Amino acid sequence: MAALCKAVCVAKRGAKLARISCRSLLAFGKLYSTGDTSEFPGNKEDTPTAEKKLSGFAAAFELHSGLQQKHDIAAGTVGKSPGSNEHSFATLLKQSPLVQMGTSKDKVAVGKIFHIVNNDLYVDFGGKFHCVCKRPAVDGEKYQRGSRVRLRLVDLELTSRFLGAKTDTTLLEADAVLLGLLETKPK
Amino acid sequence: MEQYLFGCRLEQDILDLDQTMEHLQQALNFTAHVAYRRGIILFVSRNRQFTHLIESMARDCGEYAHCRYWQGGLLTNANVQYGKGVRLPDLIVFLSTLNNVFQQHVAVRDAAKMNIPTVGIVDSNCNPSLLTYPVPGNDDSGPAVELYCKLFRMTINRAKDKRRQMEILYGLKSQND
Repeated sequence: MAALCKAVCVAKRGAKLARISCRSLLAFGKLYSTGDTSEFPGNKEDTPTAEKKLSGFAAAFELHSGLQQKHDIAAGTVGKSPGSNEHSFATLLKQSPLVQMGTSKDKVAVGKIFHIVNNDLYVDFGGKFHCVCKRPAVDGEKYQRGSRVRLRLVDLELTSRFLGAKTDTTLLEADAVLLGLLETKPK
Repeated sequence: MEQYLFGCRLEQDILDLDQTMEHLQQALNFTAHVAYRRGIILFVSRNRQFTHLIESMARDCGEYAHCRYWQGGLLTNANVQYGKGVRLPDLIVFLSTLNNVFQQHVAVRDAAKMNIPTVGIVDSNCNPSLLTYPVPGNDDSGPAVELYCKLFRMTINRAKDKRRQMEILYGLKSQND
């Protein structure tokens, strides 16, 4: 079942890539415009001399891109879908907030409280681990499950190797200082 | 786990998600086939934060979950502990292969002893050796585990629906195996 999905995804991705490359190349291909893209190269003698004659690869490319566009229109998949992601993992990683942030020391982030135990607030700010902060004295009762808060990050994972240990010991928690509730502009 | 890493940046290991994608697809495909052939799937995780989520996911797809303390002889001593003729799981899916003291869960080794195939989400601090279908991925964050639960539930439900459809189309009798 998942193999089927993979085959479909690969086929879709291949079709989309072909479409994108078609479009980008067609932008250059407009220099060699002909009246009808489904014309065979042999008929190009009839076109007016102002339009450049296509031959060889260019002609074949025009033919196949025309066919591809017709197929897409018929299949109803013209235009890039908003959810398509054709970037490689490396590009996605480079543009991800984790990498764009750099070091986590002293960066301000917005988190959401997902659990409360008495005065401990468990805040998820989008990192691998959540952080645990003490409920502040000011506006204490406003911190409930689902509230959004501002944090100053200290460490993304509280982990360290102690003397004589083979592996690091980790707390499976991040470290952050609670700055306050997220101030929303009054409407 | 080095082969599954994209690299290391600022003391953080980054898993290569292109490899994860392939492994996850193979694992889900295998899970679907097991569910199609009416296998028993057992979800195991000792991460207390997601116990409820995994148990409700298992109930939603009609399979089983064991997210509590694992008794030593559950698989290897099943005939004594549960009586003769116990049917053991046909697939064990680990949503986290570590137990609460960061050692490998006993069930990984026991499933290998009992010839039960395993699918497991292995993080950068886990050992993927004994798993049949390791999936390098994050096993600590809420959104990650919710994604895995959603994918497994969807896969198993689709497989079971397909089975029902094929039974109706081709009149397969329900078999006891």
